[in-house]
Amino acid sequence: MKHRMVVLVALVLAYGAVPLLLGSMDYVMSLIIAALTIGGVALAWALLGNLGGLVSFGHAAFFGVGAYTSAILVVDHHWPVLLAMVAGGVGAAVASVATMPALRLRGPYFALAILAYGHIFRILAVEATSLTGGAAGMLSIPGFPTLLGINLASKTGAYALILTIVLLFAWLYGLIRRSTYGLALRAMHDSELATRVVGVPSTHLKAAMLVISAFMTGVVGAFNAHQINFLDPEYAFASSWTVLPIAAAIFGGYRTVWGPVLGALVVFLVDQLVFKELMPSGHQLVFGVLLGGMVILGPHGLLPLLGRWSKKEASHAGA
Amino acid sequence: MTPLLEVSGLRAGYGQINVLWDVDLTVEEGKTTVIVGPNGAGKTTLLRTLMGLVYASAGSMTLHGQTLKGGKTWDIVERGMVMIPEGRMVFPDMSVLDNLMMGAYPRAGRADWETRLERVFAMFPRLKERRGQMAGLMSGGEAQMLAMGRGLMENPQVLLIDEPSLGLAPVIVDEIFTILADLKAQGLTIVLVEQNTSRALHLADHVYLMRSGKTILSQPAAEVDLGHLHDLYFARDGGSAAVG
Repeated sequence: MKHRMVVLVALVLAYGAVPLLLGSMDYVMSLIIAALTIGGVALAWALLGNLGGLVSFGHAAFFGVGAYTSAILVVDHHWPVLLAMVAGGVGAAVASVATMPALRLRGPYFALAILAYGHIFRILAVEATSLTGGAAGMLSIPGFPTLLGINLASKTGAYALILTIVLLFAWLYGLIRRSTYGLALRAMHDSELATRVVGVPSTHLKAAMLVISAFMTGVVGAFNAHQINFLDPEYAFASSWTVLPIAAAIFGGYRTVWGPVLGALVVFLVDQLVFKELMPSGHQLVFGVLLGGMVILGPHGLLPLLGRWSKKEASHAGA
Repeated sequence: MTPLLEVSGLRAGYGQINVLWDVDLTVEEGKTTVIVGPNGAGKTTLLRTLMGLVYASAGSMTLHGQTLKGGKTWDIVERGMVMIPEGRMVFPDMSVLDNLMMGAYPRAGRADWETRLERVFAMFPRLKERRGQMAGLMSGGEAQMLAMGRGLMENPQVLLIDEPSLGLAPVIVDEIFTILADLKAQGLTIVLVEQNTSRALHLADHVYLMRSGKTILSQPAAEVDLGHLHDLYFARDGGSAAVG
């Protein structure tokens, strides 16, 4: 009951208070949109990294493929933007099938193999000039339409759209985590061999998580393409689309559903609004120290840390 | 009648290193087959090969007359053969109950998991008491019971058990063997790998002795002479492998 109230209040704040209070501040709204974009990828990454136990350095590939798929469908084939975004997710999911041989590897080997795959897709985007415009990129990609009277192309509209996407993904993540598959994935984290012994088709399960994670990342990549109306391979496949979500997920607590989203908001907004103001160049250093400190103080991330503190407070109040 | 599980001329190993050399094994339905042998004889490799965890390079192995070669471990589990692995392999970061639920993961087991769970709890009351505890915090004996309970959640027709007494106190070993005897009495087909020869012999219908990747003795349990078995076990036979 208490949990439901918290969720309800958070929803009202997110959909109501944020646009009302900050809607007129374009810069802050763009930062929040960017933070949620990273949060969406962080969530997708955590689905694979936490539930599947697969640390990926290659999510930039799915982000870029999703972005290009959607942009090409809209620009060249005049698809409606929202439909093309879903197709962007499907495109990324298809691309993830090509990376599946990497699933045979474990730990750092998987991480490096999928990093290499990421670069292959970037090179493809550069070379397939007729399709992607090559290194010059794609300009004036159409933005979001007006839906149910809300202009999604406005800052507030784009915010509502990415917020909805992230909430849907979080719901999907929670659903998977609570299911039998989630239980099996959690077991796989402990020992993949043991899950096979009890009859879990671990290879299929990892592949399924990779596809879902790639789909989610692709949709967010497509959102970003229509949000900034521009794409080039260096940008769409930039390593920051992998690194920032990982940092956000670890900072926020990648074993929780909300940790990656919260982590993205805190990490990105604090970095941009505070550290960047104080230290226009090299502000990433502060952020690096912060991340390092987090790993030492609360290796499970911010959200579990907050939970522990609030429990302590409660027990003090009770005493 | 064809035997439930039949292995002949099986070769298997890890990469370039071959471990099993033309192993033959026949397991009759409802019987307890015991495989003994010193360390490094290939007993664990044999079980793992049966489960599809180790690649079989030659020979045949069949369950219910159908080949097991090339089968995926999870499919073999669904076909009714379940292994309780050496070293328990429980999931340490999960509760006892979640560990048991993992045993009901194969589709066939999901519908009546509650009945199965009740049966496992009846057999291992301690697991019921500790169902909320993290499996990683259990003692070796409890973890072995959990591994057995998890295996029984699969409702197996053939149970492969790899050294259940390993590293356990004698009183716990007694308990484990009592449970194995119960399972045998219920008609379950058991393949037991054990180093504790005399304990295992009490339970056995048929005994195999493995050494250096070969089965060098195959005898009905009633005919086994423990002294002779131990001579073979410790290679006091002058090196000539006697096949019984």
